[in-house]
Amino acid sequence: MTTRARPRRGDPALGTIAVVALGLYVLFILVPVIMSAWKSLTDENPLLAQSRFVGIANYTEMTHDSALAASLTFTLILAAAVTLVANAAGIGFATLLNKTSLSFRVMRTVAFLPQVLSGVIVAFVWRYLLAQDGILNHVLLSLGIIGQPVTWLGTPHLAMFSVGLVAAWVLTGFTTVVHLAALQSIPVELYQAAMVDGAGRWKRFRHITFPMLAPGTTISVTISLITMLKLYDIIAVLTSGGPADSTQSTALYIIQLAFTDDRYGYASAVAMLLLVVSAGIALTVTSLLRRREVEL
Amino acid sequence: MTASTEPRTAAQRPAVTATAVPASVPRRGLRAWATKGHLVAAGLITLAFVSPIYLTLVNAFKSQDQIISNPAAPPAPPTLRNLTDALSRPDRIIEIGLSNSALTVVASVLLIIPLGSAFSFWLSRRSARFRGIVLGGFAAGLMIPPAVVLLPTIRILTFLHLDHTYPGLILANVGGGYLSFAVFVYSGFLRSIPAEIIEAATVDGAGSLRIWWKIVMPLLRPATATVAIFLSLWIWNDFMNPQFILGPLKGQTITTGIYLSVGQYSTNYAQLFGVMLLAAVIPVAGYLALQKQFIAGLTSGASK
Amino acid sequence: MRHTRLTAACIAAGLALLTGCSAASTGGSAAAGGTTLTYLTFETPSLTASFWDTSIANGEKKVPGLTIKKIVAPSTDRDAYAKQLQASGQFPDLLQSITPSTFATAGLLKPYDQNWVNANFMLPMGNAYKGKVYIPPTNSQIIPMVFYNKKMFAKAGITAVPKTWADFMAVNAKLKAAGMTPIELGGGDPFAASMPLVGILSADVLGKDPNWLQERYAGKVHFTDANVEAAVAKYRTMVKNGDFEDGALGVKYADSITNFTSGKTAMYMMGSWFLGSVPKANADDFGSFMTPTDDGSLVVPFAVGGSMAISAKTADPAKATAFAEAWSLDPANYKTLIEGDGAFPMLKGKTLADYNVNVTQVFKDSYSYVTDQNTKVSAFGWATNDDSMPSGLNDAFYAASQALFTSDDVNGQMAKLDAAWDAATK
Repeated sequence: MTTRARPRRGDPALGTIAVVALGLYVLFILVPVIMSAWKSLTDENPLLAQSRFVGIANYTEMTHDSALAASLTFTLILAAAVTLVANAAGIGFATLLNKTSLSFRVMRTVAFLPQVLSGVIVAFVWRYLLAQDGILNHVLLSLGIIGQPVTWLGTPHLAMFSVGLVAAWVLTGFTTVVHLAALQSIPVELYQAAMVDGAGRWKRFRHITFPMLAPGTTISVTISLITMLKLYDIIAVLTSGGPADSTQSTALYIIQLAFTDDRYGYASAVAMLLLVVSAGIALTVTSLLRRREVEL
Repeated sequence: MTASTEPRTAAQRPAVTATAVPASVPRRGLRAWATKGHLVAAGLITLAFVSPIYLTLVNAFKSQDQIISNPAAPPAPPTLRNLTDALSRPDRIIEIGLSNSALTVVASVLLIIPLGSAFSFWLSRRSARFRGIVLGGFAAGLMIPPAVVLLPTIRILTFLHLDHTYPGLILANVGGGYLSFAVFVYSGFLRSIPAEIIEAATVDGAGSLRIWWKIVMPLLRPATATVAIFLSLWIWNDFMNPQFILGPLKGQTITTGIYLSVGQYSTNYAQLFGVMLLAAVIPVAGYLALQKQFIAGLTSGASK
Repeated sequence: MRHTRLTAACIAAGLALLTGCSAASTGGSAAAGGTTLTYLTFETPSLTASFWDTSIANGEKKVPGLTIKKIVAPSTDRDAYAKQLQASGQFPDLLQSITPSTFATAGLLKPYDQNWVNANFMLPMGNAYKGKVYIPPTNSQIIPMVFYNKKMFAKAGITAVPKTWADFMAVNAKLKAAGMTPIELGGGDPFAASMPLVGILSADVLGKDPNWLQERYAGKVHFTDANVEAAVAKYRTMVKNGDFEDGALGVKYADSITNFTSGKTAMYMMGSWFLGSVPKANADDFGSFMTPTDDGSLVVPFAVGGSMAISAKTADPAKATAFAEAWSLDPANYKTLIEGDGAFPMLKGKTLADYNVNVTQVFKDSYSYVTDQNTKVSAFGWATNDDSMPSGLNDAFYAASQALFTSDDVNGQMAKLDAAWDAATK
């Protein structure tokens, strides 16, 4: 860290802006979290004027809420699987596209496109691709890979898979570009030295590329995980959480509890759980990956 | 983030395989083949990867019959019918959605940039300990799933009499995770600005606001580009906030508009793709035009 | 930081934001001097955007100085959307075809003048909730009917429509033996996925005990009771027998309509609104019957409603009521709803001929179930009277219907419904 100018406290103008910024942070992040924490101890219902303090009743209810267990399991498995797949695909894709000729530059440009599109658009287009009489079935049938149309969005397990597929598709755009950038910061000399030592393609990847990608992987994995734990728009449009609530992520469950079931109090308790789980995962994974960076 | 981690330009960065493989004569043919194979493989995988986008593009210019008979074929003959239909809907969902989204994006970003940069500048001059605490808080703000704070946010806006209004939506955008992102990027970038530059200006007697505007902001220009580009994209594509905080009364943004307009009963694929294309064209055009800054922004994050 | 400065800063920032943004906001513009009211509608393949626009325009003409701003629910689940709007402080002034119970209990709805209701409708209390009418009973529906393709039945050698459950199973077997898929199911849309269960539960459970839903509120009966589980098990048996196509949960509601009308499947369990989608060209190929019962007795799952509820918080109750009443009696709406949405009209003292409509034979035959004396029960999950289910239970019921398409765990799903019911009525 560089030395910097002495802290100056007598700056009213800049200080005012700082207060506004901090105030907004407090108002729209800190206060909502505190409000959620407080509401989670009540049985508040937006349709009823009165709400009662119920202690930890909402939290004990969570322990035997099978819908919550299912949504949390789905969310966590989805986050883990998509993060893994999208980052593995991103590393592979980035390695493949790491060339400078025009055609590769065009391909790199296109690879990021899924990230640019709104989740709503992405999900609508995929809903069409994955429909019973959609293009994916069309293609797979004509190639003889499947005998009859697959209901990608129609059975619980396949719908879970499909949500993962679409999310991974979107995230791969991101992970590819991040890893491409990391690849390009690897000094060429390292490879040249390895060549002189007679290292083959795989050895070079394993011992130079992969470790040098670590900082990129850290950021890419962390952001993938956070994105997946937050995921709302793609699921809302692709399956609305169905069929049979199989693709109801915890974020969707909170919204259903709050806005359809009129259970603010319980919704707030589930929100607190999601907050703790997300924070725990993000912190653990970041620190693990940072440690790995050092070790490598 | 420092200058040394900036992405190398294409010219600086020699292609790895080309320089790496010893250019012995017998292997040249093999290498040419390998290169060609690599290109073909990369091309095929990229094509498969972007096929959903390709389908949206070609089908937006095809009739319903053309789409059903062969969804993957190029539009021959192409039709502009879907686009003109989408633009002449009686509810004007595309026109209204685009202008509302543009308004929301511009207002939010114009507020976040000065707020985020000035705050980060102010923060850069506090003690390391204080800075660490504040940045930690903002980092948490980035991670909080929006569903967690959605309900209380609506309550707060209702209390301020700003519920389901554009000022309310914009305020929630400015105060929520987006500001955290801006503070993060600016704070990272500020670390690379030598303190001497600012000290020199202070000696000259310039006030802090003046230093921020005249000296810091120009230095922060790359960070501003990153913040502006990514926030514009995210706010443009945002779905949950407009759906719940804004609601239907004040007109739709482009995402909630297409969500409603192509609803669950639309089996008219031609119209669907026409609407999708129009909704996607602005962010995609923006990305293609500002590609370098996009990648630079991501890179700075990746090598931070 | 001193307090004064902090406050001043906050106020300054707030003002800057407000002035900066309010100039740019594009709120709905009210007609000069008039009232603007919001009206929540929803769209289906037969209730299109242009139907709503026309009917709104007609209603506006009858109420001078009123402008209606239409809000379209993103799905047919307008109850959920109405709640979402309420939760975010935007409860509409008028709400089409919602389930009044939850909203009325919370004091959000204004009942109609009972004299006006009595004067105009055949079954004035047909969908009253706790003795008050929140939605005028303008029309009725049978949910579901079993529609069938006469040609396909003939091809499979079926000569009579099934009366008993055993007949029904035999019909399914014959159709399969003839290489046809017996029943269409638009399982991709949760409400459509629930139709067979609605039919079976209405016939078996409500047919035997019309007060079952009231008793469930009182906690006297449960979904896990043997008679309910036995009824649900019938649906499981149908699924396992292959009476629905394999990928039924991937079929969207809109596609299920075209699949059935184009002869891909022989039967379709759907609300009577499907009558509006029967193709005019070969309408005589289609017939309807009620979900069969074990003993062959006829049970008609019935629901009355068809118009809009009025918000108790509306800024202009007089104009809101005037519009709602005008809409509820507008002959043009009846014509469209009867012809396009298969609605059975319920205006007092009128017969079908009075509506000047052009309807199919299958519509007339189906309408006779309404006018005949027979056992009518509340359509399970669809009635909006005292038999309506608690808030959120419809969603749980739909989810259970979808789950039971792939899962054998009848008891587990019913236990979930009981738990959801108890949580919702706690």
